[in-house]
Amino acid sequence: MRQTRQGLPLAGLICALLALAAAPASAQETCGTCHPENRVSFDESIHAVESVTCSDCHGGDPVSREVEAAHSGKFRSLSNRREVPEMCGSCHSELERMRAYNLPVDQYAIYLTSQHGRAVAGGETRAAICTDCHGVHDIRRPRDPSSSANERNIPATCGQCHGDETLMQEFDLDPDVVTDYRSSIHGRLLLEEGSSAAPNCTSCHGVHGATPPGVGDVDKVCGACHEQTRKAFLAGPHYRGMIDAEIPECASCHSNHAIKRFGIERVESLCAECHGEDSDQAILGHKIHTLIEVASEAVAGAEELVHRADQAALEVEDPLSRVEEAKTYLTEALPVVHTVSQEPVEQLTRRAQSIAEEVEHELYSKLDRSVAHFGLVLFWFYLLLTIAILVILKKKLQSEAEAP
Amino acid sequence: MTKETMKEQESGLLDWFSSRLNLTEIFSLLTSYGIFHAELDNRKKIREAIAEAKAQPMPSYDQWPRVLGLLAVVLLLIEIVTGALLAFYYLPTPQTARASIATILRDVDFGWFVHQIHFWGAQLLLAVSIVRVIRFLIRGVYRKPRELMWIFGVLLLLVCFHSDLTGRALQMTGTSYWSSVRALELVGSIPIYGSLMLFLLGGGETVITELTLIRFYLLHVALLPFGAITLIYLHFSGVRRLGQTESGTQAPPTRGGPVIRSHLLNQAILFTVLFGILVSLAVLAPVPLGDAADPYATVPGVGPPWYLLAPFGFLELTAGFLPTWVGGTILFLAFTAFVLLPFLPGFRGESKGWLLKFLVVAALLTVWIFLTIYGARVV
Repeated sequence: MRQTRQGLPLAGLICALLALAAAPASAQETCGTCHPENRVSFDESIHAVESVTCSDCHGGDPVSREVEAAHSGKFRSLSNRREVPEMCGSCHSELERMRAYNLPVDQYAIYLTSQHGRAVAGGETRAAICTDCHGVHDIRRPRDPSSSANERNIPATCGQCHGDETLMQEFDLDPDVVTDYRSSIHGRLLLEEGSSAAPNCTSCHGVHGATPPGVGDVDKVCGACHEQTRKAFLAGPHYRGMIDAEIPECASCHSNHAIKRFGIERVESLCAECHGEDSDQAILGHKIHTLIEVASEAVAGAEELVHRADQAALEVEDPLSRVEEAKTYLTEALPVVHTVSQEPVEQLTRRAQSIAEEVEHELYSKLDRSVAHFGLVLFWFYLLLTIAILVILKKKLQSEAEAP
Repeated sequence: MTKETMKEQESGLLDWFSSRLNLTEIFSLLTSYGIFHAELDNRKKIREAIAEAKAQPMPSYDQWPRVLGLLAVVLLLIEIVTGALLAFYYLPTPQTARASIATILRDVDFGWFVHQIHFWGAQLLLAVSIVRVIRFLIRGVYRKPRELMWIFGVLLLLVCFHSDLTGRALQMTGTSYWSSVRALELVGSIPIYGSLMLFLLGGGETVITELTLIRFYLLHVALLPFGAITLIYLHFSGVRRLGQTESGTQAPPTRGGPVIRSHLLNQAILFTVLFGILVSLAVLAPVPLGDAADPYATVPGVGPPWYLLAPFGFLELTAGFLPTWVGGTILFLAFTAFVLLPFLPGFRGESKGWLLKFLVVAALLTVWIFLTIYGARVV
């Protein structure tokens, strides 16, 4: 050690220059000598790329090779979890510094309003802090697929705590939310089909300000994507009724995390669940179901017929576009069901059905083969006549041959 | 020759042509394909030659069993005529193929009819060729001196398979596309020969590109029909030389008199029935147009064409314990042995017992059918 310090000035200069050339900012840091795992892990991170150094977060003397000197001054180990959000916020709230990365600077402020942030401020150190979701030294950009904050990894990241049964019991929280989400239509779209349109945990609960939406807010959260459905829901009587009765809006019928793809046939039993078997509402549900079911069948039949016509090489572009139009009306009818009134649904299903019937009628007459079949019968009549004549000729020939 | 006699000779249209062309030779082409029953003397004028042929006794090879060969000839003619009509509108590129077929089916007068007749004629031709080979196997049409007739028969079957295969690919529908890809993969499993064929057919890939399609088209409309015509010609030439008799030793029985007209009438009846069957199939069971092929989306459950299911099944069956090239080699050797059957030790000699022959044929057919069923199941 001492020899190194007292070594030839020239050699030292060359070494320093070489080291400077290889990795300008952090190469002089000696932290990795004693903390190699942290160093390796840090080198993977976006912070290493952006020339953030160990001492930027931990303080101390990063070039010192003496243990004590290295950990002197304003050194902080950050082993106290409560210090971490503030430390991260010290840079990430700085507008000047973050502007070039186009990063928001209100994350720390938002975090403080979240359930996690409030719990930490209240002394509950097991609540999530920045590093629990983003990683400690190996922090990556959220758009990096290997980042724990990537949209496809978020369910697993949240699940570290929210899937932990013993931990969640202490906070009186449901530990099945993550499993429920994975089984839901949203989870399957995101995790199995890789659809980036599907929501992850943060899409509904907020990112840094994670808080469950309360009654009166559920429709707004769901409506962010399911716009038409929300519009219809707000127009119907359920919205006011549910808020007054303090029933969570969308979630009462669709559940919250385990949301399944809803068949329209569920309407039948769903209305009766709250309103009773023989109630007017249950009958209305049955009517709405029947309207959509009948129209769907008509459209499916028309579509099948268009396919048949296409296979028989008929011109199908016009009927095909009309079937698409009918399908659009059907698609529109599903959100409109949330108005829970017959009139608007029927308007759409009636349009879909009449288009389907028109297309069917038109194609049936084109696909009709009865003329061709009649022609075939006629054809065989003449064919048999020809054969008969030929056979008679042959017979005649044979009798001529036998005659002397 | 005086001017007077020249005039007399040129009185009819037939004579006019006859003095300028060797009509007898041209007419004897019909004989080559079994339509006319007797050989003509090419040196004589046509009237004279036909009159002479009529007086000749009818050779035994104009009997009933010949119907399969004749059917093959007529079906081939139908395929050539309908194929030529289709070629007026068909555009052989992957982008336009299906659309041009749709045009034929939809917009061209009687296009659908020609298309359907072409399809069903091909299926009947395949069936006839297969039945012919089975008949040859049972009746021993491979023993000396009929070795070549066997080889021509099997090669004709091969040509028919190839025509059907290329014809399917030309449609560029989802099913036909993937069916062709499976067939190309099968060809590719044969070492050396397979990679050579793949290179010739489409640059060594087992996908259908512009190059593959245009080569398939060339095969389908030019090379394969020419091969079929040649093989049928050679076959009938052999039949005329050797007679139809199965044993090849006994003298052919002959009949004389107005048998020729009876023979032509029989043919007329046969062709009428065939035409009726074809038209009925075209009207009652039209093949659908099919969805457009998408090279990026495999259509599930599509295997090679049905006649390739057996080799496909064999490769699938042996995939567990044999490398593909070994399986391919075995298939290739088995097929070569089948073509060269007359020269194999066990089949060269005199007629074996009826039961033994039956067992051999039954065993071959059973293996084939088993492999076909297996192939169809694993698709």
